[in-house]
Amino acid sequence: MADLQKLYEAVLNGDNKTAVAVTKEALAENADPIELIQKYMIPAMAEVGKRFECEEYFVPELLLSARAMKGALELLRPLLAEKGAEPTGRVVIGTVKGDLHDIGKNLVASLLEGGGFEVTDLGADVPPEKFVEAVQLRNANVVCLSALLTVTMPAMRTTIEALKNAGLRDRVKVLVGGAPVTPQFAKEIGADGYGENASVAVNLARDMVKASSHAC
Amino acid sequence: MPASVFRRMAAEGGRIPLAVDLVLHEQPDPEAILTDGERLGRVLEAHALRYGSPAAFPRMDLRLEKRDLLHRLGIGGEEADTYHFLAPPTEEQLARVRDGAPAAFLPAHQAHFDSIRYIAEVTSLFPVGMTIGPFSLATKLVADPITPVALAGRGLGPDDDESIRMFERSLELAEATVARSIRAQLDAGARAVIFCEPSANAVYLSPRQLTAGSDILNRYVLQPNLRLRRLLDEAGAAWFLHDCGELTDDMVRILGETLHPAVLSLGASRCLWQDAALVPADVVLYGNLPTKTFYSDAAMPVERVAELAGQLAKEMKALDRPFILGSECDVLYVPEAAATIRRKLEAMVAA
Repeated sequence: MADLQKLYEAVLNGDNKTAVAVTKEALAENADPIELIQKYMIPAMAEVGKRFECEEYFVPELLLSARAMKGALELLRPLLAEKGAEPTGRVVIGTVKGDLHDIGKNLVASLLEGGGFEVTDLGADVPPEKFVEAVQLRNANVVCLSALLTVTMPAMRTTIEALKNAGLRDRVKVLVGGAPVTPQFAKEIGADGYGENASVAVNLARDMVKASSHAC
Repeated sequence: MPASVFRRMAAEGGRIPLAVDLVLHEQPDPEAILTDGERLGRVLEAHALRYGSPAAFPRMDLRLEKRDLLHRLGIGGEEADTYHFLAPPTEEQLARVRDGAPAAFLPAHQAHFDSIRYIAEVTSLFPVGMTIGPFSLATKLVADPITPVALAGRGLGPDDDESIRMFERSLELAEATVARSIRAQLDAGARAVIFCEPSANAVYLSPRQLTAGSDILNRYVLQPNLRLRRLLDEAGAAWFLHDCGELTDDMVRILGETLHPAVLSLGASRCLWQDAALVPADVVLYGNLPTKTFYSDAAMPVERVAELAGQLAKEMKALDRPFILGSECDVLYVPEAAATIRRKLEAMVAA
C-alpha cells in the first residue's frame, strides 16, 4: 500500500521523482485524488510557505517543492476533470510590455500551479491587448502583472486600463509585483493587490478568489 | 595602478550615480546614439562631468552579450532578447562560440566599445567598461535557471538531469561570450571593467544549500569570474564587481574575499556600513541608495534621499573605509518621472 506520508514529505522536500512515484502507486490502488491533494499535497505546500516566510527555505526550495507538487498534480488532473473538480482559480500571468525579465513571474506561475490554480503564462514583454484576450479566452478571475524595471512599470497601469476598457475589470482581480513596485504604486494604478514575494502573491490570489466566490 | 583611481575617488568623497541612461535621454535622438560610438562616448563624458567623476562609466545594457552570443549562433533579431535554449547547447554550438572565427559585433555592442575608445583617446577621463557576468548571462539563456542550479546544489549532475546539462553548457557559452566582450573592451582602452552579476544572489543560489556545503556558488559563480578576471589582470585593468541581488552575509563575505575586486557595488538591500566588516579593507565599496524607487515621490521623497545619503556617507566615514556613494544599480530614464529622478540624484550628490 502506498505510504501517503511520503507524498507529503516529497512535496515538502522538493523531491519530484518520489512525489510522482507515490502518486502513481496511490492511483493504482484507487486512491481518491482529491484526498491526495487536500490531505497531503496542500498541507505540504502550506508548510513550504511557512518555512519560506521564516527564511528556513529560500526561492530554490520553493521552486523544487512547486515542481514536485506540479509533477503529482499532472497525474491527478485528468481524474479531477472527470470528477468535475474546479481549479482553485484561473490566472493569467505575464511580464508587462517592454520588460524581458521573467524569473519572478515564472516563480509565481509555478507556485500558483502548485497551489491548484489553472495558469496561463503569457511570458515576457506582453502587450495589454494580449492580457485582455487571454482573460476573455480563459475566463480568468486573476491577472498577475510583473515588472522589474522602473521604466516598464507604467505598462502595468496601461494594462489595467485596457482591462477596464474591455469591460473586464470588474470580473478579475489584478495583482502586481516586481522589484521596483511598491504597495503605494499598486494602489495608484488601481491594482487589487501587491505581492512582495511569490509566496505572498499566491496567498493573495487564493484569498481574492475565495472572497470573490463568497461575494457571488 | 587603475584601482587607485577608485580609491582616490573614495578619498575625495565621490558621489557618483550610474545614471548614463538619464543623460542619454536628454539628447534629441537617444536611439541613434546607441549605435554611434563617438556620440555615445560624449554622453559618457557628459555624465562624468555632471557628477564630477574622473572615471567615465558606461551605460548598463545587459542584453549586449546575449545578443552577441545568439547572433553568432544564428539566432538574431527581436527573438534574441526573449530566447531560451530548449535543449542543451550542442557540442557544435559550444565549439563555434569557443573556437569560432572572429565575428563582427552587432552595432550597439560595437558602439559600446567605440564609446570606451572615445573616452580613452579623446578625453582625459578614466575609461571604464561593462559586461554582464557569466553566471547572470547563463541565467538569461534558459527559461528556468533556478531549478537546475538547485538540483546541482543537491549534488546532482548533468547525467542525472538534462536541465543541469543545459544550464552548465549555457554557462560555458556565457563565459566564452563574456571573455570576447572583455577583450574587445580592453582593446578599446578600458582600464577597469564592471562585471554585473545581479543573478548571483539568494534567489538563484539557495543559502540553505550553501550552508549545507554545496559548491554551486564556487563552481557556477566564483570560478568562471576568477577565470575572466585573469584577462583584466593580464591587461593591468581593475575589476569592479556589481551585484545588486539579495545576498546573505556569507555571500557578501565570499564575494569580497574570494573575488577580491577593486570595487564592490551592492544593492539597496544591504547595509554597507555593516558589510564593511565582511569584505577586505582595501576593497572600495560602492552604492547603494535605493534608486529604483526614485521615480516615486510617495515611496521615496527627496528629503528621504538626502537623509539616506547623509547617513550612509557619515557611517562609512566613521569606519574610515574606502567608499563611493552611488546608486544601487543603473538609474534608468522613466519618461514621466525623469525630473523627479534627476532632482533626487542632485539631492544625493549634495547631501
